[in-house]
Amino acid sequence: MHIPDGFISPKMYLPLYAVAAGCWAWAIRRLRRTLDERTIPWLAVLAALSFILMMVTIPLPGGSSVHATGICLLAVVFGVWPAFLAISLVLLIQALLFGTGGITSLPLNALAMGLVGGAIAAGVFRTLKGWNETAALAAAAWLSVMVPAFLVALALGLQPLIASAEDGTPLFFPFGVEVTLPALLLPHALLGVGEGLLTVLVYRLVRDLRREGGAA
Amino acid sequence: MSDRLMLLTYLAGVLLATSLHDLRVLGAGLLLTAALCGRALPRVLRRAVLAILLFNSVVTVSYVALSLWQGTFSPRYVLLVNLRVLLLATMTFLLAERFNPFRAFAFSPSLLFLTSLCYSQVLTLRRLFGEFRHAFRSRSIVRPGLRDLYRHGAATAAFFMRKSVSDAGEIARAMTSRGFFND
Amino acid sequence: MIELERVGYAYGGRTVLDELSFSMAPGEKTVLLGVNGSGKSTLLKILNGLIFPCRGRWRYKGREITARLLKDRDFSRTFRRQVVLLFQSPEAMIFNPTVFDEIAFGPRQLGLEDVDDRVRHWAGRVGVDAFLDRPPFDLSGGEKQKVCLAALLVLEPELLLLDEPTANLDPRSTGWLVDFLQDLPVTTLVTTHNLSLGAELGERTLVLSEEHRLIYDGRIDDLLGDREKLIEANLVHRHRHRHDGTEHRHYHVHQWK
Repeated sequence: MHIPDGFISPKMYLPLYAVAAGCWAWAIRRLRRTLDERTIPWLAVLAALSFILMMVTIPLPGGSSVHATGICLLAVVFGVWPAFLAISLVLLIQALLFGTGGITSLPLNALAMGLVGGAIAAGVFRTLKGWNETAALAAAAWLSVMVPAFLVALALGLQPLIASAEDGTPLFFPFGVEVTLPALLLPHALLGVGEGLLTVLVYRLVRDLRREGGAA
Repeated sequence: MSDRLMLLTYLAGVLLATSLHDLRVLGAGLLLTAALCGRALPRVLRRAVLAILLFNSVVTVSYVALSLWQGTFSPRYVLLVNLRVLLLATMTFLLAERFNPFRAFAFSPSLLFLTSLCYSQVLTLRRLFGEFRHAFRSRSIVRPGLRDLYRHGAATAAFFMRKSVSDAGEIARAMTSRGFFND
Repeated sequence: MIELERVGYAYGGRTVLDELSFSMAPGEKTVLLGVNGSGKSTLLKILNGLIFPCRGRWRYKGREITARLLKDRDFSRTFRRQVVLLFQSPEAMIFNPTVFDEIAFGPRQLGLEDVDDRVRHWAGRVGVDAFLDRPPFDLSGGEKQKVCLAALLVLEPELLLLDEPTANLDPRSTGWLVDFLQDLPVTTLVTTHNLSLGAELGERTLVLSEEHRLIYDGRIDDLLGDREKLIEANLVHRHRHRHDGTEHRHYHVHQWK
């Protein structure tokens, strides 16, 4: 989710960076075991792919459209850890090189979307695909959008609690979870449906794609 | 100023801008950043404002409405949050103008290679993606329906996924042939 | 049919097209020559109403084409059926599940009857009728391009724009394309950076320089004799090579046989 810098307190983003850094180190170590010299070009390409997938628009009935995330596709087709690193890298490049900002929301987005979103998608798909592959994919995609939205809503909604002035006025994001949860979950529930549909359609076209490294 | 120093200064600036809550300090920070922009100021400022406009407007308007209704309205907060966000956005776009990652990340050849490779891939792919968009518009004689829009989105995503796999292989082979991996 | 009046286009602070003025009459087969980066693709996109001039203007059948005009659904419908563009990367144009669907896309959008006949006719004309049930992304580059051509021609357009159609084709496919275009009774504008091929693709030749200006507008034969123009446009090169045992340098083009 694109949250401009200044809405999240360092009391949250600093610890999140610590957690994210640990996860990155872990992910890199895992990848090094399965891939070799191809790790770096593969990650770079995957990150670029993630960038493009996020440019794909999902049309919604009524004429509006939103951007896809591609998390489910990346995690299911290429693996949870590569997807996590790729998304993290893309967030970094967007923040520093394209100047779209978000260096303070980077660890939140990387962990919520890249790691949790991807892991949930892969887990749900793996669990349900024996029963009905299409439904499994749609559910995985929907959850890969909803769960991160929930986490981000939680993170934003906590800001007034963890960082307020003495007189009680907020310093960063001003609304509590009672506002952020519905505000984020409702639109993302709709977006998730679109993402699910797109994911199902794409998967049909790339089912045969062999994954670089990671479990096939 | 070396790029690494630039990056560190930026990060320190971000930390400061999110840790200090005095309006005057933040205001001074914004003036300082504006001064550092030099001639690029109009461009940087414009990009910064555009980047934050939507989100900030929504939050500000909602906050004003909600807090007025609850009786907790603080004009100081409105000023604070918008000033802080604008300051951070301006700093970020200023960095993007001057920052050369190819020098700043030199401390880690892997990170450097990773980011520069990714960046150049993004630029190439973005152009190609633009062609996909243009082609769809060109071929759409009437407004495309939902089904066609989804089909096109899916075909586009699938194309780029396949392309990634083959590109990665190509790049790795090219790197191998140039002796990149002979440690 | 088309009239350009001092059209200019810039992007990211850089000039892409500068002071272009020319016109095309119906039935003409025109070639636009120019090196990569001279702005050929941009010009085609302007003529296809995908982007609009920053300076100057252009008219299609007497009407000035602007973004606002193209927002009008009726006009847009007519325009997009009459003026079609074959992109340099055929992959960018393809998105339907089968070749049949790909070619049928336009007619279906127009609500035409006998879509089936039309599709089969054009698939046969370009030679992809054997692939009608296959997914287009399975095909080779040349075959994909043929599918795209069929998908455009099935609309019976009046102006066919082609962006470097021979750039990625093997010699046999190129030969096929040249013949095919010559026989087609449609006004065409083809871009290429290949000078020798230029002569085959149209009688009238326009040349775009590296400075993004039109520096020649006339017959191909006259252009081929004008060495200065060719050098100026970077359409010929010079390097050491051998003829019959002696080594020398002169401006030349590598001839296609």
